[in-house]
Amino acid sequence: MSQAPDGSRLPDTAAGAVPAQRHSRQDAPGPQRVPAPRAPERTVLGYHLPAFTSMVVIGVLSLLGLGTLAVQLGGTVRVFFAEAALGLVFAAATLLFGFWLFRRIRPVRAPDLAASLVAVLWGLTAATGGALLANSALTGVWSKTLGLEFSAVWGAAMTAPFNEELFKLAGIVLVAVAFPRSVRGPIDGFIVGALVGLGFEVTENLIYGLNTVIQAGGVNGGEAVAQSMVVRVFLTGLGSHWAMSAVAGTAVGLLAAAGWLPSGRRALGAAALVLTAMAMHWLFDSPLPAGVVGIVVKVLIDFTIAMAVYFAARHAHRRRVRRALAREGEEVGLRRSAAVALARRRARRRALHDVPEAERAEARRVQALMVDSAEDRAFARTV
Amino acid sequence: MAQPSGTAPGTIRDHWIPLGIATAVAVLLVVVWSLVDALLPGTQRIHAGDEITLGGDGGYRAALTLPQDGWLLDVGSSQAGQTYRFHRGTVDLTVTSVTPVGDPLPDAKQLWAGMGDIARAGDPTARLGEPEVITTEQGVEGLTGVMRSRTEEGAAVLYPSPDGEFAVEMTLGGADATIADLEAVADVARAVTFTEEGER
Repeated sequence: MSQAPDGSRLPDTAAGAVPAQRHSRQDAPGPQRVPAPRAPERTVLGYHLPAFTSMVVIGVLSLLGLGTLAVQLGGTVRVFFAEAALGLVFAAATLLFGFWLFRRIRPVRAPDLAASLVAVLWGLTAATGGALLANSALTGVWSKTLGLEFSAVWGAAMTAPFNEELFKLAGIVLVAVAFPRSVRGPIDGFIVGALVGLGFEVTENLIYGLNTVIQAGGVNGGEAVAQSMVVRVFLTGLGSHWAMSAVAGTAVGLLAAAGWLPSGRRALGAAALVLTAMAMHWLFDSPLPAGVVGIVVKVLIDFTIAMAVYFAARHAHRRRVRRALAREGEEVGLRRSAAVALARRRARRRALHDVPEAERAEARRVQALMVDSAEDRAFARTV
Repeated sequence: MAQPSGTAPGTIRDHWIPLGIATAVAVLLVVVWSLVDALLPGTQRIHAGDEITLGGDGGYRAALTLPQDGWLLDVGSSQAGQTYRFHRGTVDLTVTSVTPVGDPLPDAKQLWAGMGDIARAGDPTARLGEPEVITTEQGVEGLTGVMRSRTEEGAAVLYPSPDGEFAVEMTLGGADATIADLEAVADVARAVTFTEEGER
């Protein structure tokens, strides 16, 4: 930066004099700088236009994904119907359990049901259908450029972490835009990410189950499906797609919390989380370390990373909500401890239990309003 | 002014950026990789006598030694150790290694029926005829029969490995292939070899 050599541009403070106050140009005659009024945001069916457009994009891409899956798997399902039905039973059980679990582990209260369902839908259809096409093409590229043998060993590790993580990430972002109040911070991103990953995992399990029937020569297909499902649900399921997408989703939560205009530090943190999710996927698909022990080690590493991210996001979220509840409590004259306790589901239930039955519905409503308001406060930002 | 971040910070207008990026990523992943894959040359010339390892399980490995020149391996749609697709003029050859499950393991007749089901999964009009016994040049026994569909007619071949732990399945056909075309390469059906692990 250049500066006058004699320092003549600096105010003279040698005699202890304070420089004269500068006059505001707003006091001067002439045109004043007045911020231009913002046009009201347009809405469609009560949704802001980006949210509505995001829903349309999710709908269209989910239909395309479903169509792709139908074309790719339709023939196998038609011929091996009993095996497909068995796979569907496993898929439904995994989906229901995962859906309950991931919504349950969100601190303070369950995430929005519609956003949760759309997240799972994206994973079940758009992400898997798109990844099926993209993976097939990229695997072809590796086979043609690096050779069949190399591609057979390393192809999955060089394809899925990129294609699948980006497809799932795109869905998390679309859900965050479609339901802006449902993804307002890292923990919301984690949960939506886990739900997208769950949907992906369930469809992928089904695809792998049917592929196993073909690889088994089309005989004893039920046994082939059951073996595949048991391995993919009970052995690798602990550190699979839900874990990777939950970590990537935390990045989306970070960006959404900043109104999609993150500071450099926040953007860097988000990028690190997405790269971590890809690295987890790479490790999962890598042929090293081999064997059952190797698989268990990889699954445990991915699970541990996901849990570390979860507990960090959960801790931050609960701290902010507790602080907001304490302020809410002060405003309505509620004891601090009673107000802060509302951050926990069990404490809310216990508090309701002590209320006479006739007043319980109203008390429940007031609780919900306080928690709503506290979460709004917790995520409030200064414009 | 503090507002819930459903509408702030920034404005709803800022939501167009992530929406645009996410949509573009989803579309580009499919379009770009498909284009790159389509633009790359996807065949590899195979010479007579070249040995291709088909896979293995249990105590055996299987290999295919194509007896004629002129076969092209479709690299893009093949997977090492699992599925290989070859073309020679109008003739298509698909060789797959399958690993049956169950106790006891299915016999050749059951695998033949399973092969017919797999063919129907790919093409609803495909049917395998009654199988006859065939032997490889090495002397391993398998099954062969006619494979018919609305668009093509060819042959199907199945060789269970000597210990039954896996099997090699072949289909020889082609929508435009004539009987003469198929007969010219018929010896491919007997060109599979099984090697006991540790023998090589």
